[in-house]
Amino acid sequence: MLDSLETFFGSGIVFDLTNYFFFTYGILLLCLYFTGVVLASRAIRRTKRKANFLQVADVVSATDIPSVTLVAPAFNEGMTIIENVKSLLSIQYPYYELILVNDGSKDDSMEKLIREFDLEKHDASFISQPIPTALVRNIYRSRNKKYTHLTVIDKNNGGRADALNAGINFATTELVVCTDADCIIEQDALIKMVRPYLEENKKEIIACGGGIGIANDSIIRNGVMKELRLPNSIVPMVQVVEYIRAFLLGRMAWGEINGLMLVSGAFGMYPRKRLLEVGGFDAKTVGEDLELCIRLRRHMEDLGIPYKVVYLPETLCWTEGPPDYSILVKQRDRWARGLWETMAINKKLFFNPKYRFMGILYYPYWLFFEFGAPLVEFFGLLCIIAFGLFGWINWPVAILLFLAVYLLGCIFSTAAIFMYVKSFDHYTKPRQVIELLLAAYLEPFVYHPVIVFGQMKGYYKKLFRIQSGWGTMTRKGFKVSES
Amino acid sequence: MNEVTLLLLIKILLVLLVVYWIAIGISMFYRRIRMRRLAIIEETFADLVSRYLYNDPENPISISQINDRLKKIGIRPGNRNNIQYLISLMIRTQRTIIGSNFIKLQKLYGMIPPYGVSIAKIGSWNWYRQARGIREIYEMNQSHYLDEVLKYRNDKNIYVRREAQIAMVVFLGWESLRFLPYLKWNMTLWQQIKIVEKLYDLYPQPDLKWLQKAYETDRSFAKRLLMRIIRKFELHSEIDYIMKHLTDEDYEVRETAIYCIKTFAVSRADMSFIKAEFDKIPEPTQQLQLMNYIFENSDIDVPFYLEQLYGPNEDIRLSVAEILWNNGHKQKVQEFYLQQYPNTSMHVG
Repeated sequence: MLDSLETFFGSGIVFDLTNYFFFTYGILLLCLYFTGVVLASRAIRRTKRKANFLQVADVVSATDIPSVTLVAPAFNEGMTIIENVKSLLSIQYPYYELILVNDGSKDDSMEKLIREFDLEKHDASFISQPIPTALVRNIYRSRNKKYTHLTVIDKNNGGRADALNAGINFATTELVVCTDADCIIEQDALIKMVRPYLEENKKEIIACGGGIGIANDSIIRNGVMKELRLPNSIVPMVQVVEYIRAFLLGRMAWGEINGLMLVSGAFGMYPRKRLLEVGGFDAKTVGEDLELCIRLRRHMEDLGIPYKVVYLPETLCWTEGPPDYSILVKQRDRWARGLWETMAINKKLFFNPKYRFMGILYYPYWLFFEFGAPLVEFFGLLCIIAFGLFGWINWPVAILLFLAVYLLGCIFSTAAIFMYVKSFDHYTKPRQVIELLLAAYLEPFVYHPVIVFGQMKGYYKKLFRIQSGWGTMTRKGFKVSES
Repeated sequence: MNEVTLLLLIKILLVLLVVYWIAIGISMFYRRIRMRRLAIIEETFADLVSRYLYNDPENPISISQINDRLKKIGIRPGNRNNIQYLISLMIRTQRTIIGSNFIKLQKLYGMIPPYGVSIAKIGSWNWYRQARGIREIYEMNQSHYLDEVLKYRNDKNIYVRREAQIAMVVFLGWESLRFLPYLKWNMTLWQQIKIVEKLYDLYPQPDLKWLQKAYETDRSFAKRLLMRIIRKFELHSEIDYIMKHLTDEDYEVRETAIYCIKTFAVSRADMSFIKAEFDKIPEPTQQLQLMNYIFENSDIDVPFYLEQLYGPNEDIRLSVAEILWNNGHKQKVQEFYLQQYPNTSMHVG
């Protein structure tokens, strides 16, 4: 076996091809990241400048701003549901509705909600449901005048996408924000998210996302972030860096060239009209946010209407990241399956000039560098082991090359941290910044291999058609301060 | 790639990494120092303004004393950032003060250092500085620069022309509407909202002459702006303009017309007109919005609703069915559903 492998790889062409493949892939990725840093810095600078002329105070008292519905699905969140709903209700926006969708919870969520918010059952017979969903049992509205903008939909379990679709059906506003019940949303997030819809003239905004931050171990009071702290353990700590890099560098850079293919499911705003036209979220995939964004883009391309997907660099939504390795693996396994499914559903886009840049550049990028990266890394590792066994590796050069690549990774993470520290005041203490930098430098050793494992696990499940759903994401919950 | 090249690359990368560390350090240090400086400027400015507005007769503060203290805290021509911060403080302060103190404050602003800085920015090649200059001019009510600002109302940069157009509204009030038909570029919703809000805050007494003159415009954004003004000021005498646009060929104009009409309770004759126009609206979603308005603002007109119940759109049918069902016409709904689905039993209600 080993001999035949040696003969196969040992033939000059295969050996050279393998080397050139990894080298070219790495160089391409490096160029993309570098371009990303340049584009992101430009985008952040421009967004900040524009914000000077789009001050929230100018329009906050206006009666003409679009109304917004926030749809938050909840499943078995009885432990924290009241706190979460209170947090979502405290968001500052003049015309705002909250639709909480109880997605067939088996715990006492519904009873708690009825009791706490004095909910009253309403007839849902005549409310049209343009997007088919699992059966809606009842609709509840509060008798308490304090909570007139709260609606609770009690439905049979159908998954997150199905619950979001039910909320979209029942919403009556122009814009819909999809989030999770356990997210902490900044008080002025909605008015900031609405801004691109108000200021864009030439293109229609089909989706708008905001930065998402990791808030494990932070202090929450009355549903509002009281004190942002860095997580105590290494897994969520590295995720802070990962999110900063992904949102500040990745998304802002792609947004700059209108190439965003993903608006995070945790916090995204969409025009309801377009959501209904495309039939809402796809309940069959676990990567419903990515799939929706691509489908919306395709829809607009088919209609021939100029459109834009935008991202705001500010962190507007705080979430709890996986606290340990096992949950992290589950999360990345699910993301990988979602990516696989979305890539398969949209394979028609691949180098399809009809879809312009989306077909020629954005989809191939996702295929080669988002979907392909874990595969390349995994096979790269196998090749190192195999070549090492055959004694074909020049170890001094390999170690130096590894060091160079490692430093490059560190530089990109440091650049992201620098841009974040410079632009926002979330992490201002020297100790916090040092901890973030250390986490970034440890990432390749203590975090990245686990992610690749999770992703490969997801691909394996898809390849061998092993049935798997969302998986349970056990959360510890934020630290709640009462006084 | 050999070892020497790789070592060189590593050295370069290490230098780059160190540069980033230094940049982070400087950035954090600068922020700390800057925050401290800004706090001092804010505190001093608040003290000076309060002493100037509520002058102590026994210990009056003179303009030269004010200028001296401002200079001491770093408000000097060479320090643009400090001056910029002072301007933002001046704007913020002015927004919160009314009456005779407002006039006093205007006088003070004419005599302290940043005077002239904003107008100087207008000539800049940089759109950001230009737009900021215009904004500062109208926020600080420096109306003597109106002619300078007016030149930029059709500027190719959206932010520059937008600020110039808002300045027009701030300085000219309702009269600024006469420029509306001649604006070359589209107006964003944000700008429309801001114009309406400025007009409402600064000129609460409507001057219909200028509004009616602007009706001549055929620009979509201008029509929408005018309807928003009618809505904000609750100009009942002008609702014909909104009703006329309920069936406009432009989607956005129709949308705005439907949105604005919702603010008004109309006469029976006007409601009949709206009902007559209902079928001419091409979008079912907009028809639905108007249907809700008709329902909430008029008596149940059974023939009108029945016509819609037997119409082609499923959502409208469902909405009409709900209205009839809940308003004493269950039988009509049952008849309709029995005709539609003769072999099924009713589960509604």
